[in-house]
Amino acid sequence: MKETVITVRRKKIEIWTLVVCFVIANLVNVYAIQKFDTPWNELFWSLGYVVTTTVVIYCIWSVIRLVVYGIIGLFRKKRR
Amino acid sequence: MEKDLSRRDFLKNAGLIGLGAGTLLSSVPWMSALAQENTSKTVGEKVRIGIIGPGSRGRFLMNFIKKNSKAEIVALCDIYQPSIDEALKIAPKAKVYDDYRKLLEDKNIDAVFITTPLYLHYPMAMDALDAGKDLYLEKSMAYNVAQCFDLYQKYKSTGRIFFVGQQRLFDPRYLKAMEMIHEGRFGEIQAVRTFWFRNGSWRNKVSDPSLERLRNWRLYKEYSRGLLTELGGHLLQVGTWAMQKLPEQVMGAGGITFWKDGREVWDNVSCIFSMDDGRRITYESVISNKFYGLEEQIMGNLGTVEPEKGMYYYESGTKDGSPAKPAPGFMQMMTDVQNRIFEKLPFAGTSWEPEVAKDVKGNYIMGEDYKITTDGTQEAINAFIESVITQKQPERIAEECYYASAMVLLGYDAVEQGKILTFPHEYRLNYLNHKHQAKQTL
Ligand SMILES: NC(=O)c1ccc[n+]([C@@H]2O[C@H](COP(=O)([O-])OP(=O)(O)OC[C@H]3O[C@@H](n4cnc5c(N)ncnc54)[C@H](O)[C@@H]3O)[C@@H](O)[C@H]2O)c1
Repeated sequence: MKETVITVRRKKIEIWTLVVCFVIANLVNVYAIQKFDTPWNELFWSLGYVVTTTVVIYCIWSVIRLVVYGIIGLFRKKRR
Repeated sequence: MEKDLSRRDFLKNAGLIGLGAGTLLSSVPWMSALAQENTSKTVGEKVRIGIIGPGSRGRFLMNFIKKNSKAEIVALCDIYQPSIDEALKIAPKAKVYDDYRKLLEDKNIDAVFITTPLYLHYPMAMDALDAGKDLYLEKSMAYNVAQCFDLYQKYKSTGRIFFVGQQRLFDPRYLKAMEMIHEGRFGEIQAVRTFWFRNGSWRNKVSDPSLERLRNWRLYKEYSRGLLTELGGHLLQVGTWAMQKLPEQVMGAGGITFWKDGREVWDNVSCIFSMDDGRRITYESVISNKFYGLEEQIMGNLGTVEPEKGMYYYESGTKDGSPAKPAPGFMQMMTDVQNRIFEKLPFAGTSWEPEVAKDVKGNYIMGEDYKITTDGTQEAINAFIESVITQKQPERIAEECYYASAMVLLGYDAVEQGKILTFPHEYRLNYLNHKHQAKQTL
């Protein structure tokens, strides 16, 4: 098995991606609280849903990136 | 002493101890006959009772009469020897008659129980009241509405004590349920759906064909009005009791669909009794499928009561009927998104999801530990005996019983004629929303 190296840059990108997903999930929660007129303490009590949504968004984003990088990689190989 | 304790238990179970006398007596005034301050005054008294028609129901009642120390069965009358033989096992010292008129002439009898087939109720009850006897008549009151009205008038003019066998009026589950309903715990009652399903022929085996009509009187129109008067009256009485309102009209349908054995009364029948404001009580019986059993589903906008099961349920699904806590905004939004996605599916409308009954555990009317020990029959008999001793007819009982019978009999006519029938004004009593109008003034 080949050794893989996760660079510091990659780690930073992934952490920031996760943070952005978490912020987006929180914004969705804020929107829902406003729309359905539920108490603001749900910002805390619905954290479970928010974290789950964060992971879901992160996974979807990862899949999109994998597909995009895959296609770009394929083109590069062909050109070479 | 033991009897007094069980009476106390009954009142306690029915939630009738601890209530202000006013609360209790205004909604169920007939219970006054069992109030402690009244029953203590009648200790030592003895009512002498005659039983006319001690068949299956008659003997059932005799067993309850025997349990009351203020009564004794002194006479029996039947035309079927096995009924007499069985009844004598319960009341061995009773004098036996083969003609009910002779029994009614007996001055040693204070009150009679009439438990004969339906078609005999009217002539026997009229004669009994004329003979000055207090009367416990089994339901239904009579064979048609006109007879019921006549009998009610006879009760009024003779001033005798008059009960009809509507024992739910004394059943603790029903008393408690009605108290809750009338407090408004379930909102305004919008509809009462009642049914009584059985799977059986309703037929007695007879050794000799000449006994067919005597033993199976229920199956022949000449003697009986079938399921409506045998079962329906109990349920309809619960419906009007819950709604505190009497129907204006009735329509229905019925037929012999399964037990095609020569019977003349329907084995499958259904009626809709409607109020002037559109609310309804429905009644249905089928005797070839018993899956849903027997129930009166009393439906208010805030909740439902099923007294036969002894349960009640709130629409909100919460234990105490408080509004259910809304789901967090986040979940509501997810559901919203989900609904929007599915609504767009080409094969599905907005109601693609089946609206099956709510699976709510519900609450016990009498509490979880309550064991059914009475269906109210013992208490109805005790109340009758007390009333005979005090010569005070409890309020509203005759009227409740009158309408229980008259309504189902009108239902019978509606099915028979295939028409929507209005309750005749000349047969209305001045009771609840009904007002009597003599025929000529109409
Ligand atoms: N309240 C209730 O829950 C309830 C339950 C069952 C029956 N009932 C009512 O009780 C009544 C009797 O029903 P049942 O099941 O006992 O019927 P049943 O046939 O068992 O009993 C009727 C009795 O009346 C006798 N009889 C008939 N003609 C007579 C006459 N001319 N003189 C004297 N006796 C006569 C019969 O021989 C029989 O013994 C019916 O009106 C029925 O609707 C009420």
